[in-house]
Parts: sequence; C-alpha cells; structure tokens
Amino acid sequence: MVRLRSFRFVFSLLLLLAAPLSLLAQVVLRGTVRGSDGSALPGANVAVPRLGLGTATNPDGSYELSLPTGRHSVQASFIGYQNQSLDVNLRNTQRLDFTLAPGGTELQEVVIEGSGTLEQKLQTTQMGAERITAREAKLLPALFGEVDILKTLQLKPGVQNGGEGTSGLFVRGGSADQNLFLVDDAVVYNPNHLFGLFSTFNSDVVQSVDLYKSGYPAQYGGRLSSVVDVKLREGSRDSLGVSGGIGLISSRLAVEAPIKKGKGSFIVAGRRTYFDVFTRQINKLNADDPDYNPIPDYYFYDLNAKANYQLTDKDQVFLSGYFGNDVFGFNSTQGFNFDFRWGNRAATARWSHVFSPRFFTNTSATASYYTYNIANKLDQFSFGLSSSIRDYNLRSDWEWRPEGGKHVVRFGGSGTLHHFGVGRLQAGSQDQELNIGQDVQYDGQEGGLYAADNFTVTDKLALDYGLRLSGFRSGRNDYGGLEPRLAARYTLSPKTTLKASYALMYQYVHLVTNSGASLPTDIWYPSRLSVKPQRSQQVSAGVSWLFAGGKLLLTNEVYYKWAQRQIDFRDGAQLFVNPELDQEFLFGRGWAYGNEVYLEKKDGRTTGWLGYTLAWTKREFEPQRGTDGINGGRPFYPTYDRRHNLTLVLLHQLSKRINLTGSFVYTSGNPTTLPTGRIAVQDVFGGELEAVPLYPDRNSFRLPSYNRLDLGVVYKLRPMRWGGESDLTLSIYNAYNRRNPYFIYIDEVRDQETEEVLRYRARQVSLFPVIPSLTYNFKF
Amino acid sequence: MPLPSTASAFRLFRPVLAIVSVGWLSSCGLQKDVDVELPAPPAQLVAECYLESGQIPQITVTETVPYLSEPSNELLTDVTVTLTGPTGRIDTLRFGPGQNAGTKKFFTHRGRRRLTIRPGDTYRLDVKDTKGRHLFGSSTMPAIVPIDTVEWKFNDRTGEQRKAYVLTKFDDPAATVDFYRLQVHRRHVNDDPEVDYTPDDRLLNGQRFVLGTSYEFSPNDTLFVALYHLERPYYDFLRSIDDAQSANGNPFGQPAKVRSTVEGGIGVFTILSYERRRVILKE
Repeated sequence: MVRLRSFRFVFSLLLLLAAPLSLLAQVVLRGTVRGSDGSALPGANVAVPRLGLGTATNPDGSYELSLPTGRHSVQASFIGYQNQSLDVNLRNTQRLDFTLAPGGTELQEVVIEGSGTLEQKLQTTQMGAERITAREAKLLPALFGEVDILKTLQLKPGVQNGGEGTSGLFVRGGSADQNLFLVDDAVVYNPNHLFGLFSTFNSDVVQSVDLYKSGYPAQYGGRLSSVVDVKLREGSRDSLGVSGGIGLISSRLAVEAPIKKGKGSFIVAGRRTYFDVFTRQINKLNADDPDYNPIPDYYFYDLNAKANYQLTDKDQVFLSGYFGNDVFGFNSTQGFNFDFRWGNRAATARWSHVFSPRFFTNTSATASYYTYNIANKLDQFSFGLSSSIRDYNLRSDWEWRPEGGKHVVRFGGSGTLHHFGVGRLQAGSQDQELNIGQDVQYDGQEGGLYAADNFTVTDKLALDYGLRLSGFRSGRNDYGGLEPRLAARYTLSPKTTLKASYALMYQYVHLVTNSGASLPTDIWYPSRLSVKPQRSQQVSAGVSWLFAGGKLLLTNEVYYKWAQRQIDFRDGAQLFVNPELDQEFLFGRGWAYGNEVYLEKKDGRTTGWLGYTLAWTKREFEPQRGTDGINGGRPFYPTYDRRHNLTLVLLHQLSKRINLTGSFVYTSGNPTTLPTGRIAVQDVFGGELEAVPLYPDRNSFRLPSYNRLDLGVVYKLRPMRWGGESDLTLSIYNAYNRRNPYFIYIDEVRDQETEEVLRYRARQVSLFPVIPSLTYNFKF
Repeated sequence: MPLPSTASAFRLFRPVLAIVSVGWLSSCGLQKDVDVELPAPPAQLVAECYLESGQIPQITVTETVPYLSEPSNELLTDVTVTLTGPTGRIDTLRFGPGQNAGTKKFFTHRGRRRLTIRPGDTYRLDVKDTKGRHLFGSSTMPAIVPIDTVEWKFNDRTGEQRKAYVLTKFDDPAATVDFYRLQVHRRHVNDDPEVDYTPDDRLLNGQRFVLGTSYEFSPNDTLFVALYHLERPYYDFLRSIDDAQSANGNPFGQPAKVRSTVEGGIGVFTILSYERRRVILKE
C-alpha cells in the first residue's frame, strides 16, 4: 500500500505517451457500423480485402482505417448480419458509415454473436473475458420467462451463482460485492430485484455485457474480482420502432425513434411485474374473512432511457438513464403499515470526440444512487430506517493508435465523490414523547489514473501492459496503491496461442452483508481508519486452440488469486443502525485457484458452449478484537465454493421459424453449516422447552450436488400485416423437475395431540420445481 | 413498537419471507426428509440458573446431545452444584429433580434456603461431575430500573376486532451501558410471553424508553409487564440463542455460536433484576 502523495508520476507518463501526435496519418477513413435497428456493433470487422487491411470497431461501433488515397471497396461484417460493401474515393479524411441488415429475415434471432469471431478471440491478449449479447440471452430458457443477462453470465466458466435462481455473481472465488457493475459507465450498486431473483438489466435495452474475470484492463478499478460492463443499445436512427413482451410475471415495452434521421435517436423502455395485481384481487375476495391474512403488495419496475446525437463528424454525445424500484407494502387490519422500497438510479452523459483519425476520447459524467427505505407506522407511532450510497463520477478515456499499427495506447482518469448514508433511523410518536433519530454518514473521494499499451511486439508476441494508480480519501485518511496490469499472448501456431496475465486490484468500498445473498438491506461502507481497503492479486495462464476449420475454440485457463483484508463479521454482529459498525468487522485473507475449460462454437445452425471449472475457494479469519475469529482462525470454504461446475449450452436452429435451446448445469453442493448438537433452554419463567442448535465449524458440510436442465423453444410467428415481427418463447425451467437442495434444516417432529417432541429430522428445502412459462414478444 | 436497535435484516423480512416461502414451499411439495450424518461432538455440561432475591435457588443441569438424537429424560446424577454468595458462604444445592409449581420450570438441583440478594451482590456457580467436567460462572445483580408507566390504547373497532396496544415507559440511567428485556404475559407469567423484546440503550442512553406492542390485546385482558435490567453476558446469551435458532431453517442467516455466561460448558447463570406490573386493560 502506498500512501498517496501526488499523481505526478502518472501525469508524466501520460504526457510522454501523448507527445508524438504529429506522426498521424494523412488519409483516414472513419465511421460507424450499426445494425439496422440503430445499435452500434462493437467488434465488427471493417476491411479492404484488396489491400489486406482491416480493423475492428470500438465499443461504440466506430472504426478508423488508414488507407492510401484512391478508390477502395470497403467491407463491413458482423456475425448475424449481412455483409455490406461500399465504394469510396478517398482524397482526404472521409467518413463512411455502415448499416448492416440482419442475416436473413428469419435467421436474425438465431445466430449467436460473440465478442467478434473465434479467430479474434484466439488472437486477443485479453484473458478471462466474456461477452454476452441480449440476443443471446433472449434465446436461452429463463426462470419465469424473465430473460436475465446476469444469469446467462452464470453459465460461463468461473462464475457461480449465490443460490438457486439468483442473479448474484461470484467470480473466481470473489464475493458478491467484489464485482463492478457498470451501465453505460455508471456504477450500479445493487443489480438485483426481488432479493436477487432477477437482475435490474432489462434485456430490451441491453446491447451487450462484457465480463472480465482476470487480466482486467487498466481503465477498470475499484473491485477485486470482476468487471461487468453493460452497454445499452441506441435507438433506431431511421424509423420509429416499438418492441416489447408479455410474460408470466412481467411485461415490457420499448419505444425508439430518430431524433433527427441519421443523426440521432432515443429509446425509452420500461418493465413492470404484476404480482400485486393478482394479490390485491385475492385480498379483496377475502376481505370479509376475519382469519384471512392479506398478501403483501410486491412489484418492481425499471425504466431506461437513452438518447444519442451526432453533433459533428467528430463529436457524438449520449445521455443515458436508469430508474428502478422494488416496492413492498403491507397494510394490516390491525392498523400496522409497512412500506419497504429499494432501488437504483443511474445517469450518464457521455461525449465522444475524435481529435484525429488515430486519437480519440470518451468523456463521461455519471451519477449513481442506491437506497433502501423502510417505513413502519402503527397508530401514532412511526419508524423509518434507510441507507444509501450516492456517487458523482467524472471520467475520461483516451485512445491513441500510433502509425505502424503495433501499439494501441490507452490512458485516462476518473474521480468519484462518494456519499455513504450508512444508516438513518427515525422513530417517533405524534405526541413527541418518543423521538429517536440517528444518522451515520460518511464521505469519500476515489480517484484513478491509468495508462496502458497494447503492443504487438512481433507476429507471434503481443503484450498488453499498463499501470493504474488508485486512491481513496475518507476524512483525513488517504489510501492508495499502484495496480500493475499485464497480459501477454504468444502465437504457437496460426491456430494455437498461449496467454498469461497478472492483475492487482484495490477495493475501497465494502458491502456490509451477513446473509451470503444479495439483500436490499445490505449496506455500503467506505474504507476508513479501521477498515483498510481490500486488495487482491491474480495470475492466470491459458492456451487457446482453434480447430474444426475454425468453428470450435477450446480454451483452458488456470488461475490463482489471493486477497488480503477480506471482510466478515463477528457472531451476533449488529449490522443495523450501529454508529460503530466497523467494530463488528473481522478482517482476514482469502485465496482461490482453479482450472477452467471452455469449448465454444459460434457458427452454423448449432451453436453454444461447454464449460467445466475445477475450483477451490478458501477464507481465513484469525482471532482478533476479543473474538476467536471465524472458525477458531482455521480456514474454511465460503458458501460459494464449488469444486466442480459443468455447463452445457446449446442453441439449434431447427427451421427458419423454430429455434431450440437448452442449458444443463451441474455443480458440486455448496458448503453449509448444520448444527451437530443441541441444548434445551427453558428461559426465566416456564414456557415451552426450546431446543437451541449448537453449530460446529463454519461450512463444514456440503449440500448434495446441483443439476438442472432448462429447455426453450422460440417460435417466430408470421409477420404482421403492417410488417411487425413477433414470437412465442416457451421456457421450461428445471425440465426434469429435480428437487435441488436450497438449504437443509433440522426440524422437530411432534405428537399431534400432546405437542410433545418425538424426534428430530433433517429436512431439505428446494426452491423451484419444473416451471414452464410462455412469453409473447413483438417488434414493429 | 419495538425499538429498532434489536432488528436484524432477517428479522425485518421474517414476516414477508415466512408468508411467501411457506405458501410456496408447501404448495409445491418442495420439502423432504433427508439423511445427513452429523458428527457427535463430545458432550458438555449445560447449566441454566436464574437467581432471584427471595427465592430458593434452582438449577437445571444437563449436557449437550447430538442434534438428531431422540429426546431423553435421562438426568445427570453425578453432578455437584455449589453456590458461593457475596459473603463467601457456600451452599451446596442438592440433587432433587422436580418442577417449580409457580414457574412450571423443571430443575435438577435445589437450594435449602431463600436468598436475599441486593443490587451489586455477586454470586458464583460451580458445577462439577465425576468425569472431571467443571462448569463455572459468576453474576452480579444489576440495579432495578423501575417502570414509569404502563398505558394502553384501544382502536376504534368493535367486537373481536377491538384491540389495544400497550406502552411501557421507563427512564434509562445515563451513566451506564444498559441492556433490557421487556416481557408481557397474558393471564399467567409461567407461559410463553406475548411480547419479548431485548433492547439496549445505544440509541437512547439517559433518555426515556417507550416500548410498545401492536394492537394485540383485548378488553379486560390481564397483563403482566416485566422489565428486566440485564447483565451484558446474559443479554449476549439471549441474543445468541435467538440467532442460533433463527439460523436453523433460514438460508440467509449466519449460524451463530451460543455465547454462554459460564465457562467450562454451555449455559446461563445470572441474577434477575426486574420490576413487574399487573394491569387489566379497562376501556
């Protein structure tokens, strides 16, 4: 750990890298590649076959090519779309935009698009990266028919879920708070609805999701285990479009249109569940039954909006916003009102500017907010509890591609103002006799500067090396450190590459959770004097082999990750409205290692992947702060440790209208703690004799293994009269109805007449049986 | 309305999760018996003893058992229990299993005389058996914190829907860190309480406490409202057994170990300090 004195060193490095701008090419072709729906297509190929020159588009779909003056035929291609060739007569720097039509009227929903081609994936220096597109996620069967892009990520090697049906990600031994979720550059602190069963990302507006498990690019920082970078799609720049779906538990609607044809567009999309519509009716029907307990109201909704505009040939802006809430309400006949709501807000304003064909920048200002609020009321008494985190962030990323094509230099910086509303309590009565208030708040400032170079050393060797300097200030306490990032790729043969990477990460904000799951009441807490930043390092190495005529890519990666200052809590920790919350923390270390095998196929009528992970994750908290630590200081497996994890995902185009999909998951059972002994406690005054469980070492048992098959069918209906498209998507979750273990508990068996305890038994609880669901999707 | 200082995440969600999960799981048949092999840890002595001024001391001594073992009434007959008072006088409690007629509590050992205990007095408990096990602990009686008022208010409904909530008010001493337990019994004190809160004074040190219930009592109910002033170890013990019980069957709970007030075994030894009031809810 290096205490921050100045960023002088990094500024010097940035100036050094930015110096030779005068070497830029004179004749450049640049533009964008978009789909016919207006969405930018990152990773698309733009090439001049006659000259053997080409490039791939940037994340915003833009590209630049240095070409000699004269006439050229330029071709753009992207998997799932038809190629487009355009002729251009280059005399000066010129713009050429491509709009690609889907690859066949009925095929567009079939083909899986990934992060470019398998060939590109073979050649990139980036390790441990996965890209999922919304179209890919939409094809796969989903719980309750709710397409969830985070659950699709869970099907990738090295990514575990937090439990049956939940969206939480546990990446290579990292905990749920060690993932950085970005939506159009804005941080999302709680990407879940309904206690983690669904993610906040509406598939109608998601363009793609990039997951980084290792070899993190230097522009990312602030979390130890992964980066989940979600890009929302842009609306059509050509025509009005409406799309949506009606599902088992929610409906969606998205509207998009050009702001000015060919110049800019907007998209607005919303989603809402309707459990509450049904439960209210049930409550009404039973209103006269005095023994009836009303079902609480629950619903969640999301609203996304994004607008983009091409200001000039060199400038483009977009505004993006997210607003989502979960609402839980209960009004009892006894006069007790309970209102609980939680949700995220995020907003981004981004400006992209091209200084020259080889030098461009993206600058964005973002705001993020997450809060939960609980309000109870009983007669004249009220009680409110809330917590929040609010960020304002400014970041600027620059990219420079020097002449010669051997370097891609990236540098930039970011600064964030954090405000932590750790806990706010207000309890009172109308007569003011009771009036309790407490408010624990902290501020923090986080910053980062980075520079990185993707250097093609020789035809065989490429390096991606960089350095990030990150820092955090809380009160008078400064923390920071250098975060080296290094990745290398060596080409053994045209179809085989070796790769290795190293990354060091710091995390300055911490999630206070004792549940092992993602609950809305989890609290974000800053690094302070008593809570030092978390730190991790990871090394990984792998080999990639492209075979079967380039149709199959087999990748094997091994990794070892070690982390310091991991956070857990002492037994009986008081995590709510505690002004000395940090006194409940325990600090320890963790380490994880494993091997991931990944076979993928992206071409043809049958696509998909097969992944297998063999992994270990351990944590250790030695005795401290008057406690015996956790587990007496002995290492233990956290609940998300899984020894074996096998996933098979297949998508098959049966005909032009019918697509079949299936996914199979097998994982080892997760560690759990079961009581081994019991005592009987009577308490002060009589009452019932109660059994109190005695727990042994933490997580010393394992649940039975988990396996599940999901099946899906997408049936495209005949085109509507006015040209719209629609489909019916059938999902069967847990197709063979396996009772997978969710948890095990010990139960009493009592005599029905005397209520006497006869014996004790272990009971296994499963969460979801086979669940078929049907969703109608439309687009016009 | 209970003070929120004792709330935990799961407690906040417990009613919600219970309604949703019980309905869902039972309707879908998603629970089943399973065989699990739980190791049998070595048996430890377990003691439960609450001393009270004016009462003959009684203690229940048992031992830990494997969780899945059959319930048994087998008692430990080789245990010696001694109680050492503030003057150094040692009383040996004799083995004589029975049930207290007033509290309905079972005990294994019983003293011979009523104790007179004042706030500040310290007693020590020793439990030894012939296997060499030795459980021991001590307790100092906290000062009594008096109840200021107990009041109630009825809702505006009629018939069986007419219910009252009850408020208990008391003043917290400012100079000390204090832990409380409020129990409200209906009709009898020897049954499970209707209300059982364990607040501390973290948020209200030196201020007036107002602890309330929901609308749950009927006209003319006879209530026994007791305010206990607890020692910290006893408070921790109560919280820990609540946490341990909550974690069994709660996938979101973190299993917690029982934090005993005694050493060499498991259990609780404490001196009760409380005030109890009897009220009849007249309209």
